[in-house]
Amino acid sequence: MSGARILRGAAGVAGFLLVGELTIRFALTDGVVFPPPSVVLREAAGLLADPDFLSGVGITLTNWALGLLLSVVVAVPLGVLLGSLPPVERATRPLLEFLRPIPSVAIIPLAILLIPSDSLMKVSVIVYASLWPVLINTLYGMHDVDPLAKESLRSFGFGPLDVLRRVSLPSAAPFMLTGVRIAAGIALILAVSSELLAGGAGGIGVFVIQAGSGNRTDLILAATFWAGIIGLVANLLLVAAERRLFHWHQARTGATT
Amino acid sequence: MTRTVRARALVLGIATALALAACGGSDTSSAPADGKGLEKTTIKVGALPIPDPAALYIANAKGFFKAEGLTVEPVLIQGGAAALPQIKSGALDISHTNYVSTFLAASNGEKIKVVGDVYQAGPNTFNLMVPKDSPLNSVADLKGKTVLVNTLKNIGTLTVEATLKVAGLTKDDIKFVEKPFPDMANALSTGQGDAAWMTEPFITATQSASGFRKLADTISGQTADLPIAAWMATDEWVKKNPKTLAAFQRAIAKAQQLVASDRKEVEAVLPTYTKIDAKTASVITLGTFPTSLNETRLQRVADLMLEYKYISSRLDVKNILVGASG
Repeated sequence: MSGARILRGAAGVAGFLLVGELTIRFALTDGVVFPPPSVVLREAAGLLADPDFLSGVGITLTNWALGLLLSVVVAVPLGVLLGSLPPVERATRPLLEFLRPIPSVAIIPLAILLIPSDSLMKVSVIVYASLWPVLINTLYGMHDVDPLAKESLRSFGFGPLDVLRRVSLPSAAPFMLTGVRIAAGIALILAVSSELLAGGAGGIGVFVIQAGSGNRTDLILAATFWAGIIGLVANLLLVAAERRLFHWHQARTGATT
Repeated sequence: MTRTVRARALVLGIATALALAACGGSDTSSAPADGKGLEKTTIKVGALPIPDPAALYIANAKGFFKAEGLTVEPVLIQGGAAALPQIKSGALDISHTNYVSTFLAASNGEKIKVVGDVYQAGPNTFNLMVPKDSPLNSVADLKGKTVLVNTLKNIGTLTVEATLKVAGLTKDDIKFVEKPFPDMANALSTGQGDAAWMTEPFITATQSASGFRKLADTISGQTADLPIAAWMATDEWVKKNPKTLAAFQRAIAKAQQLVASDRKEVEAVLPTYTKIDAKTASVITLGTFPTSLNETRLQRVADLMLEYKYISSRLDVKNILVGASG
């Protein structure tokens, strides 16, 4: 990122905060109470010294990482398998297309009832939600493999596993990572939503429930601010990983992210 | 705990329950006081981050559970009704709940028990609040208006209905709209409602921040000293863990005694498990903390629910109380 780009981005954020601050301080209906950005940011800074909040962030991030990891472990092999065996893919496609659009947050109440361990319940709904982008992107990646490259390898006497290892997997890998990046955002949504709906021993969502019951809208927003920052940082890291690992892919397709 | 152990425990529990039923035995809650031989030494107890379950955190802080050989892990719950599936799944052993949710569930056939009293409403703990420039001056003025409650068909609507009755109105004369407590004040100020059923710390906060005033105290007359919150567990858990339950009840009763007799105890513990700071804790209005599970008092809640058609037939509460007196 160039210096000028960073500067313009910072100016945009500052402008947004200023407009928010002025609107809340001077333009709200009489009697409406809402914490302005300056208060929220001050509380957000204060949360960095709050051991309860920090251990909550640790719990949320652990569930998030575990859920994301498990979904990759399940979805990538499944996507490669379905992508290599078109008849199986055609047979399972209707089921996938039915399950995929179910809003993942809607399965949380069911998960609460069925799964007798709180963290297992949370990780399960995260896995369920983040499975789809990884699976679908892996499938796309497998479909996108250059048939000529596969044919060439076959004509040199390479077996199907070698073709998979030398051509299909490397070619589909950038798609898989894009799937993981999309899944990372969804996993964070589910990590916090499951806490908001189910409560728990700790977590960003649990902190938000506490703040709500204590009439602390400023703390709700401060915790939400950090949830947003975590999502942003995770996305930036994964974009950087994509660039570093698959620079050849971007160069080839001309994609910019 | 692994699945197999859980499954075995479940089978064992059912077998025990059947054996007890066969013997015609009913009372299994008498247990030795030494803390040894508990069926379960670590339990998860759900609680809302509000003043009601103060005794749970005091019992933990003062080592009352430890003295019984019990480790209690408090788990924050989202609401009494939301905690029901969690005690059913086994994610929680015992949970904080409110009587209206619990009696509704029980009359719908849920196999749950009330194992301890937690909180009882007092004057000005649940008020109908209006903005300072509101044209409403009495409950009778609510005719045709919108009243905000945190949950429909629960304590809020029940106590508001009882309050309306005194003014000669029924629930058909007004409109109930669901709104979370933190959003109520702004909703009233922006015209999304005319009055809101609030509890602490929201009553105090809206009074001081926006000059809201009290239209009515919904805890009076028919609802005076209304029992509000309880500890609940499933029938199955109660049958399977009689000694653990007795140990929990003894420890929490000790803490409840402290809470009931000294408001300072509540004020001191509130900032440790809620986001209510010490300053707010010292000024908010609190209800009372009953030290016994009294059948007569709790039957009143069920009868009130029957009168206002929350339940369709009389619920005999003594069947769902464990360790009751009176």
